[in-house]
Amino acid sequence: MKEFDYQQIDDVIHSRIRTAVMAVLVAVEEADFIFLKEKVNATDGNLSVHLKKLEDAGYVSVKKIFVNRKPVTRYRITAKGFKAFEKYIENLESIIKPKK
Amino acid sequence: MENNRNNGPEFELAVIRKIMEDSRHTVEYNGIHFIFWGVLVTFCLITNYFMILDGSADKYSGMLWAILMPLGAVADFVIGWKLGEKNKVSTFAGRLLGSLWLASGIAMFMFGFLGPISGAYKPVFISPVISTALGISYFASGSIQQLPWLRNLAFGWWAGAALMFFWPGKQTLLVFAVMMLFLQVIPGFIINRNRRKSPELKQA
Repeated sequence: MKEFDYQQIDDVIHSRIRTAVMAVLVAVEEADFIFLKEKVNATDGNLSVHLKKLEDAGYVSVKKIFVNRKPVTRYRITAKGFKAFEKYIENLESIIKPKK
Repeated sequence: MENNRNNGPEFELAVIRKIMEDSRHTVEYNGIHFIFWGVLVTFCLITNYFMILDGSADKYSGMLWAILMPLGAVADFVIGWKLGEKNKVSTFAGRLLGSLWLASGIAMFMFGFLGPISGAYKPVFISPVISTALGISYFASGSIQQLPWLRNLAFGWWAGAALMFFWPGKQTLLVFAVMMLFLQVIPGFIINRNRRKSPELKQA
């Protein structure tokens, strides 16, 4: 049996909040900061840092708009992010499957 | 702290699936479109009925629909655009619903205007034809939103359509108006009530 290579785990996604953010963004097409905050149960500052890491990795794209004169930041998963998340899930599954 | 992931891959996968499932069920639907069109069409149907009674329908009923329906479409587009801006999230299902109702609206405009104008069928059959089309849209809409009660309203639209096909006459306008109230306006209010109960939208 081939041993699992831990180098394959994507460090950008492998964090509780970033994994949760990616899971939300895979499920919905686009979400604003408040929605993500509610879903992943994080503080503003903490979530901002994690979103910036995902953005820097090219996994999410950011759009800033004004709704009723209030700034709103919306996030969307990119094709690169989608592939990375898919690969991440495959890796997790490959850890579980050999045990069965 | 955030990287303390001692729960194992099984747990992690289960959490990811749960988050994805919860997010997919996010409510971004709004009953305002149902209420808006329901009220507008009911008003037009009742007005048209009284026009028939006082003999002015031949002269003015076409004008009534030709003016109010396009105006309604523009107003509904503006409402949808404004609400879309406020949405905290946009989902594939939401986009699918938007496309479904847009296509359905265009088809109903064709059934309501082009069908009778071209002579394909008499104006008295507009209501049952549109009722049939609405049944399709409700069935698909209820299935996409995973709301069986909304999907089942389609049977009401189709039953009403059958009734109006077999007993055509000016009374179909009133039958269709009643259907609009019970199968469109009231469901619109129910959707809005359920939407307000949704935890994601309580803080919106």
